[in-house]
Amino acid sequence: MFRSQHLALKYFAAAMTLFGIMVLAGLLASTHYVQDGFLLNKLDFSITKTLHIDTMIIWLLMGFIGSVYWFLPVELERETEGVRLAEVMFWIFCVAVAIVALVFIFVQYGPATEMSLWFINQGRKYVEAPRWAAIGIVAVVLVFVYNVVATAIKAGRITGIMAVLMVDLIPLFGLYLIAFPSITNMSEDQYWWWWLVHLWVEATWEILIGCIMALALMQLLGTSRRIVETWLYIEVGLVLGTGILGLGHHYFWIGTPSYWLGIGGLFSALEPLPLLGMVVHAVYDAGTHRMKTTNKPAFFWVLAEAFGNFLGGGVFGFMMTLPQINLFTHGTQWTVSHGHFAFWGAYGCGIIAVIYLALQKARSVQMLDSVAWKWSFALLNTGMLGMVGALLVSGISQAFYERAMGGSTLQAFIAAQNNVWFVQGIVMRLVFGLVFAAGYVMLMVDLLRIGKRRAVSETLAPRVAGGPA
Amino acid sequence: MVATSLLLGTFVLMAGCYGALYCFARLRRDRRLAHVAVACYVLQAITAALLMVTALDFWWKALLLASLAAYWPIPPLTWRFLERLHIPEEQMP
Repeated sequence: MFRSQHLALKYFAAAMTLFGIMVLAGLLASTHYVQDGFLLNKLDFSITKTLHIDTMIIWLLMGFIGSVYWFLPVELERETEGVRLAEVMFWIFCVAVAIVALVFIFVQYGPATEMSLWFINQGRKYVEAPRWAAIGIVAVVLVFVYNVVATAIKAGRITGIMAVLMVDLIPLFGLYLIAFPSITNMSEDQYWWWWLVHLWVEATWEILIGCIMALALMQLLGTSRRIVETWLYIEVGLVLGTGILGLGHHYFWIGTPSYWLGIGGLFSALEPLPLLGMVVHAVYDAGTHRMKTTNKPAFFWVLAEAFGNFLGGGVFGFMMTLPQINLFTHGTQWTVSHGHFAFWGAYGCGIIAVIYLALQKARSVQMLDSVAWKWSFALLNTGMLGMVGALLVSGISQAFYERAMGGSTLQAFIAAQNNVWFVQGIVMRLVFGLVFAAGYVMLMVDLLRIGKRRAVSETLAPRVAGGPA
Repeated sequence: MVATSLLLGTFVLMAGCYGALYCFARLRRDRRLAHVAVACYVLQAITAALLMVTALDFWWKALLLASLAAYWPIPPLTWRFLERLHIPEEQMP
């Protein structure tokens, strides 16, 4: 194994740890909805929610970075350039994340001064990390970009996947810089902030996971480079074609010109079309391989990624993307339902698939399979489906009682919060959240154990047959 | 509004069922499954028809009809493309 792949395993371990913190913070945040006064003035909803969504961003980012460090030396047939620096940055990244989490939990907030922006919280959703930590993230990503580009240059070989990946790294780094300015005009601030949030998620990350999945499919199913690269180019074209101007669906109600209603609605409505193509591709691949693979968990998580992306992003997104509907659903639990499903389907499942692929190689196992992964797969996906279903019920009740009937007044908001449909949905979200948490525990148990016993027995078998080695 | 939204979700969901079942039917060479796939597309068309009587603006309805037409060829075109793509390089003309 390359040194870069050892680093990738560290990134995966850190990602899975943050995944667990995300689940725990999510459970606490959902308990806040169910029980009034829960951890009041100790760990308020604002903090648990911040922890929940920020750890989600960071665990996925760490999963992406780890995946690239895993595949890069295989793709370019050489060790990653500057891997020692990357190792140092990994530890800096981990320490920074830990400090930020501790500050969020114990300091929580500060006065409205520059000092708070630098050391406590920048206050913008998803990128709350204080400025010093944000600079740290920039440094980590810069080193990551250097690793990828320098390795490709030193190898003297730029494959199609590498070319797409390297171009994608420019906005991955550049768009994060929008996390820094503190613009006092709310509309202006939101306008640019969505560039970071939407264009990261629905353009840059989609392409990044597309590259990672292309590399994974070559390893998992032995798919030829010609096929995965052709499909990657098509995906890039379609995702960028619909995803960039699909940004408009965030501009409906933040004070931007009304032409965004048309642009956002049109391009968002087109977003499910390429996702349908991906579903067809996934079924085709699964069928032509007759569901046979040496790594069942990775295979099923890849399938879950294709279907989850379509259902979470396509179906749940399309339900509320047209402006006439979005007027009522925007900012309700309905949006939360879509967000959970889409992130899980598009990215979470993909990262887990890559981790299983990496473990197969790291533990030198011919056939990777277990009972525990099936349990974790079932529990995680059942938990997620239950959560998004429950949130959908709550969101519909909010959209109906608070927005459509109540006219979005504060009183209507309070009334909708007490509506029986809303309350039941919120309770069921917590219940299915616990199912999801059980799935996470099973996943961790499986990741720690899968392939270890078999690897030992496979190592011992030739010795037993042929006498002492 | 809630009904319209759920219909929109059903519209895309039926497209997904049509696409997935179309592939399963091709893989298994199963004509009955192919009919079920077409039935899903018909359900999508019925959903689109129901959406025509909702309060959505004219242009959104036109967009829905256009996308309904676009969903029909996606599975067969993608399938044909994938088959051509999977021809071993030595067999390519």
